[in-house]
Amino acid sequence: MIGSGPNITAIFIFVAFVAASLGITWWAAKRTRSTGDFYTAGGKITGLQNGFALAGDFMSAASFLGVTGLIFIGGSDALLFVVGVVVSWAFILFAFADRMRNLGRYTFADIVAYRLQPERLRTLAAVGTLTVAIPYLIAQMVGAGSLIETLFGLPYFVAVLIVGGLMTIYVAFGGMLATTWVQVIKAVLLLAGVTALFVMAMAQFGFDIGAMFAKAAEVHPRGRLILRPGGLYDDPISVLSIALAFVCGTAGLPHILMRFFTVPDAATARRSIGYAVVFIGYFQALIVVVGFAAIALLVGQAEYVDESGRIAGAANMVSVYLARVVGGEIFYGLIAAVAFATILAVVAGILLSASAAVAHDLYAKVIRRGEISDQAEMIVSRVATVVLGVVTIGLSLWFRNINVGVLATIALAVAASVNFPVIFLALFWKDLTTRGAVAGGVTGLIVVVVLIVLSPTVWVNALGNETAIYPYAYPTLFSVAAAFIVTIVVSLTDRSERARTDRAGYDEQLVRSELGPT
Amino acid sequence: MGNEAEILRDPEFQKMLAQRSRWRWGLSGGLIGVYLTYCLAGVYFADALARPFPGSSIPWVIALGYLIIALSIGLSMLYIRVVGRLLATPLGERESSQ
Repeated sequence: MIGSGPNITAIFIFVAFVAASLGITWWAAKRTRSTGDFYTAGGKITGLQNGFALAGDFMSAASFLGVTGLIFIGGSDALLFVVGVVVSWAFILFAFADRMRNLGRYTFADIVAYRLQPERLRTLAAVGTLTVAIPYLIAQMVGAGSLIETLFGLPYFVAVLIVGGLMTIYVAFGGMLATTWVQVIKAVLLLAGVTALFVMAMAQFGFDIGAMFAKAAEVHPRGRLILRPGGLYDDPISVLSIALAFVCGTAGLPHILMRFFTVPDAATARRSIGYAVVFIGYFQALIVVVGFAAIALLVGQAEYVDESGRIAGAANMVSVYLARVVGGEIFYGLIAAVAFATILAVVAGILLSASAAVAHDLYAKVIRRGEISDQAEMIVSRVATVVLGVVTIGLSLWFRNINVGVLATIALAVAASVNFPVIFLALFWKDLTTRGAVAGGVTGLIVVVVLIVLSPTVWVNALGNETAIYPYAYPTLFSVAAAFIVTIVVSLTDRSERARTDRAGYDEQLVRSELGPT
Repeated sequence: MGNEAEILRDPEFQKMLAQRSRWRWGLSGGLIGVYLTYCLAGVYFADALARPFPGSSIPWVIALGYLIIALSIGLSMLYIRVVGRLLATPLGERESSQ
């Protein structure tokens, strides 16, 4: 632990955040009476609220702590991620927002099952949701556990229990309404925190951004190379894989797509994503400066960076260390508490998407074929939330030493290679058939898992082999292409009775996707 | 169906559909194209991108990244305005009555 004991400011702010969020959950629980309330807050969230919540859902610990850590190691290459995220949100607005809001109700499975065979597509969507949600949840919880251990001096398992327990309470009792408000508060806190960090760091350089970059290049062990692209990825396949992972992956994240259904109509959905693009763009622009300022201000301070240029503790502590250097103990506590609140809000959103997949898509729609009362489905979704919460806590305790980066890569790659192709083709390609969608989704999933196992992070670092069979970190260039090709080829050669129904349903879907439900 | 088949044949609807597609794919394709070019430029023109942007010490790679972020925000605002106008017809999408 850095400092002289648990940070009082951090504990105070964090306890205040938890108290406020539990108050909101209690308030929301009284207003959550139907499955519509539970999954989508009754569709009554406003554009601005949803804009904050969307941005909050996306601005995870990975973007706040991970990107600054990445800049510290790889410099300019982090821009691939930073810029890709904003581009992806604009793309979601152009391509997905209207049609998804108009066709869907609770989950993205509603869209892919609109004209295709519902049980098979909902099963595929639920698998796609859970293989994104569970690795993502574990990654965030393991990260949170280590972070809290460092910041508050609490043992790892206590930290995981706190995060896991709170997330389960928010979702199980307060559903989407509580999750949204927790997300809004966290987004405001995070934007304010990053702005303060940016201002205080830049003040050290007299607000001369050029001077800051010059200092960073001067002190970093890699010198000016830190400003040059190619520090981490210098081949076209890696770079394109990352680009695809971010553009297609973000557009396939179930907990983000679910947010489209919390607003009343497509026009509000568009506006809310407009807000989200602005918030996320602003955040990403500042975090780059914060990352380089951390290099300029932390290198050479033995307490934070050792002689070989490695960050003390973990690379993802860069932002919080910077806060301590520029703002002292109180500001350090503030940023630490914001980081913790960020993780807590993000995991709640992901957990809700996972329980909707289990309770709504798998249980109510596939197993019970829709023959279930609203009341009963509510009970199932709350039970599913608790079970998934407990499972995630268990897995996070078990896999404490797992490589968090691999889990995050799996989550994003599955979103890009399983969810994205099927949603995209279901919305825009008339000839998509049930058989094609399932074949493509399964192909995407298999290619992702196989390539990640054969990649350097698993094959070399975890399994101890000499060289990686698949030499790139991200599988997406191949897995997304494979999913699209298989889906298209299988659909075009599908002569089944079902395929005729699938294609015939497109015209009606097209009209409804443009004009909204009748 | 019936009603949908009728709407689909309506020339007004077809016109709106064509305009919306043009904006949707024009903006998506343009922006993603710019981003992919930027990504590949980092591989093939790394030295050029490491040079400072004229009049400052900010390297090109970061300045261009900021420009693409600004472009994404600008195009999003444009899209929201344009689509709102395209849909302000009797045939346009239904706003919620809430």
